[in-house]
Amino acid sequence: MIHGKLRLALLSLLSSVEEAEFTWLRAKTGSTDGNLGAQLLKLEEAGYVAVEKKFVQRKPQTLYRMTESGRQALTEYVQALKQLLGAAIDA
Amino acid sequence: MTDQVAEELKDRLRLIESMIAEGRRTTESWGWTFVLWGVAYYIAIAWSTFGHSTMAWPVTMIAASILTFGLASRKASRHPETTLGRAMIAIWFGMGISIFVVLLALGFSGRADLHIAVAIVGAMLGSANATSSIILKWKMQFASALVWWTAAAVSCFLSETQAGILFLAAIFFCQIVFGIYCMIAESRKQKSHSAANGASHA
Repeated sequence: MIHGKLRLALLSLLSSVEEAEFTWLRAKTGSTDGNLGAQLLKLEEAGYVAVEKKFVQRKPQTLYRMTESGRQALTEYVQALKQLLGAAIDA
Repeated sequence: MTDQVAEELKDRLRLIESMIAEGRRTTESWGWTFVLWGVAYYIAIAWSTFGHSTMAWPVTMIAASILTFGLASRKASRHPETTLGRAMIAIWFGMGISIFVVLLALGFSGRADLHIAVAIVGAMLGSANATSSIILKWKMQFASALVWWTAAAVSCFLSETQAGILFLAAIFFCQIVFGIYCMIAESRKQKSHSAANGASHA
């Protein structure tokens, strides 16, 4: 699920902030609106990110926050990567 | 595992590291708030001294608070919320409310005195600057805290006129000069950040 480059980048970004706006995520990843929206939706459906829509100074704002299961998935992914790479180095 | 797969996995690890670093990198700018509040203090001092108005301080402080809140919310909408940013807001918000409540009570009770005012404001600003500098690991801000603490202590031994001059000097160095220094440093940081981003996307 999170092996995809953009989804992995998004989860990594969200792990370092409390919440982030769509436009900030777009700027940091350099992704297009459509692709970014689609990948965020997949992460939301998987329960890895939570979405909040609100109005700030009459402008719509979409905020994304990493969930606890998202944080756990990223941690497990990093551990698995390290194990695989450790095995590759040992071999 | 083939070299190609190992390289791909390493690439994923590098991506995670760079994105986490990117998220933590702060591009927030707060130098303008020091300048704004420095100017607000000068306006309040001039208004209360030459206008002889008891409303000078409360009105100026409330107006500066509203202006700070408005400008900060506009800037905040472009940045993600971080624990560090919230900690900074908490420190300065708490300090601002404390000063406002104490000075307002002193003013209404008729016990306001310039020595007490400089001592309270200096001690509180010293405390907020020191806390903020320790969190941000910023030596220049700690120097600013030392100036405020010194002004707070020394004002107790001076005449009212001397305490007033000391307060004006502390505002100049710790608010105006330090604020402009922050703005220049933040502008340089943002430029180098933009240049680094440009290079990474190229």
